[in-house]
Amino acid sequence: MNGGVILSVDGLSVAYGGIGALHDASLSIAPGEVVTVIGPNGAGKSTLLNAIMGVHPGIGAVTFAGRTMRHLTIEDRVRLGMCLVPEKRELFGSMTVEDNLRLGAFRLRRQGPAPLDEAYALFPRLHERRTQHAGTLSGGERQMLAIARALMARPDLLMLDEPSLGLAPLIVREIFAIIAGLRARGCAILLVEQNARAALAIADRGYVLETGRVTLSGPGAELAKDPRIAATYLGGKKGL
Amino acid sequence: MFWITLADYAGIAAIVAIGLVVLTGYGGMTSFGQATFMGFGAYTTAILTTRYGISPWLALPCALAVSGAMAVLIGAVTLRLSGHFLALGTIAWSVSAYYLFANLDLFGRNDGISGIPPLTIGSTRLVGSLDVLPVILAAVGLVLWGTRNLLDSRAGRAVRALRGGAGAAASFGVDLFRARLLAFTYAGVLAGLAGWLYAHMQRSVNPTPFGLNAGIEYLLMAVIGGVATLPGALLGAAFVTVINDKLQDVLPKLLGAAGNYETIVFGVLLVLLLQAAPEGLWPLLVRRRARTSRPVHADAAPLPRRTLPAPGTPVLRVEHLRKQFGGLVAVNDITFHLDAGEIVGLIGPNGAGKSTTFNLLTGVAAPSGGTLRLLGQAVAHATPQGVARLGVARSFQHVKLVPGMSVLENVAIGAHLRGHAGALRGLLRLNRAEDAALFAEAARQIARVGLAADAHRPADSLALGPQRIVEIARALCLDPALLLLDEPAAGLRHAEKQELATLLRRLRTDGVTILLVEHDMEFVMGLADRLVVMVFGTKLAEGDADTVRANPEVVEAYLGVPA
Repeated sequence: MNGGVILSVDGLSVAYGGIGALHDASLSIAPGEVVTVIGPNGAGKSTLLNAIMGVHPGIGAVTFAGRTMRHLTIEDRVRLGMCLVPEKRELFGSMTVEDNLRLGAFRLRRQGPAPLDEAYALFPRLHERRTQHAGTLSGGERQMLAIARALMARPDLLMLDEPSLGLAPLIVREIFAIIAGLRARGCAILLVEQNARAALAIADRGYVLETGRVTLSGPGAELAKDPRIAATYLGGKKGL
Repeated sequence: MFWITLADYAGIAAIVAIGLVVLTGYGGMTSFGQATFMGFGAYTTAILTTRYGISPWLALPCALAVSGAMAVLIGAVTLRLSGHFLALGTIAWSVSAYYLFANLDLFGRNDGISGIPPLTIGSTRLVGSLDVLPVILAAVGLVLWGTRNLLDSRAGRAVRALRGGAGAAASFGVDLFRARLLAFTYAGVLAGLAGWLYAHMQRSVNPTPFGLNAGIEYLLMAVIGGVATLPGALLGAAFVTVINDKLQDVLPKLLGAAGNYETIVFGVLLVLLLQAAPEGLWPLLVRRRARTSRPVHADAAPLPRRTLPAPGTPVLRVEHLRKQFGGLVAVNDITFHLDAGEIVGLIGPNGAGKSTTFNLLTGVAAPSGGTLRLLGQAVAHATPQGVARLGVARSFQHVKLVPGMSVLENVAIGAHLRGHAGALRGLLRLNRAEDAALFAEAARQIARVGLAADAHRPADSLALGPQRIVEIARALCLDPALLLLDEPAAGLRHAEKQELATLLRRLRTDGVTILLVEHDMEFVMGLADRLVVMVFGTKLAEGDADTVRANPEVVEAYLGVPA
């Protein structure tokens, strides 16, 4: 499969009304790899994910599983094995947890109990809450449900947009442990995060996005020690 | 003769449709019930002239007053509704008014009232279709003139801001409910005028022409013509009147008289038409011209200015401010202050509660606890209008300019509280001196932020960066003591950010105090005298850029901790 690359993004640019939000971004992910894109607010991280998913039109090449994504709709991309967990979770609040999960498998023709059981095995808390409306869940449980729902479609690439957003540090730890555990399922993960340290701690590789441009990249453990990252977030002199 | 009769009907309908242009096209409120107000006008004059022998001309002010009063009454009750609920509300009272007309003896029940005298000019009785046409045309002309004036006045701009810029208008002191009620009443009075003309042309009234079907047809006219254009109202009225008549004429010959096919054919035509011209016929025929530039009288009397607080005196005092949404504490016991002549940045990672804090300061949301003092005054229940009156102006994270209005007109909304002319003065063009002063001030502020060259362009034709600057000019038009900016640098190019920083520094020199929420660290740290850092709803740190940047807790808040 294309030299062990599940997703490759080449020179991707996105503009909103003439203002560039993403400039010439390139990255790649191998099957089963956890790759993170970190950067401060407004760096273009969500724009990157949305352009890969086809939510926003972009200029540049997105190749997934050896196929170009040009002209493909969001539905097409989901069918081919992409899945995006958006920043706002976008759960169906007035539906039960279990119905939310079932909708995640909407694309799969045969819908036996197996994926549901898997989801509950991965997130026992959701099993306890399975008859509850999604709108009544806590912030952490919502994020779990959003991830579990995405996994129901058995994606080859799972994209997570700021899963730590609005969650207390302890819950962030729990969610990130789960994300790290997903690696065992063989599904590639593209994790967009503002919480750089948590993301780099579980990622194989990382990219730093700053005002729409990829400014740094490298193995997660190396980036975690790079002082330039703090400067990216808080300004000040680079390369201290 | 036939075409003249159609012209009479089309003219009367055009008056109702012009009201709908103001109400729906500019004010964003959909009404299916305008025929009802026409009914109020028609029945008023019918009763007064047949039972009390009052001259039609004397009955005219009564008809207008009754339809206007009914509009105020119905509006006061229903305008609290919004969107679809308001439209449904208009259907509800339109249906009930129909049965009122059809069942009360006062209105002659289903038979209506006949024997209404024709209009007279001198000793001439205007009986035929051709006789009344000049009166109708004169009425249409007068209504067009007045409506143009109104839309171009301080009150009219408040109405126009309802669509797309309501939140912004409120924060510059526009009473949104009053603006809605004004548009509603104006449309009601115009419908009343149309009803008066109708009664004296038709010489009899009955409930049918004032029912829901008629109301829907008037809305159709406005929509088909182009709901946000005055000429569109004329065009739509003429189009619908003629097509309806022609279909009734032609279809029975083609398809036989057995069924009422005209309704079906009309429906199909309508769907096709709106697919081809979703904006209506008028915008399809006339490409929108670039705005003709409005003359600005730089020598207009300057507006009075407020005395800015002396440097160092307290401008904003926030103590233990708190906001809870159910179990979620979005702002938790925040305390900070701003003194006159300072630029303070409110920063924090995504979800820290900065926007909520901003909403509490600007009266958009009510705090769950804590105190807020603005310019020395305790503000217990802040409203956007009240905060604006104190001298606090703001910009928006998502730019809120009124599309279709020029930069100059948008900026002039910022000076809303510095003018006083009401709708009537605007309607009759008695507001010229004040309007000149408002626009001169708007032009001054546009020049102050360096956008003079774009003053006459439609605001929505500018790129995002300049649009943010337009918002600052609009805020400056309030003559603010405190300027609250919500992510002013977001989406700006590098050079634009530098210009913005220069502008804000210059404003500080002029004595304006500035609080900005900002994500662009390079920008805010280079600009602000002090930074307040929020995390999870609480204040984490406060100080100058270097202090904050060196604070390990701040670094941790932004970069997170390893999981």
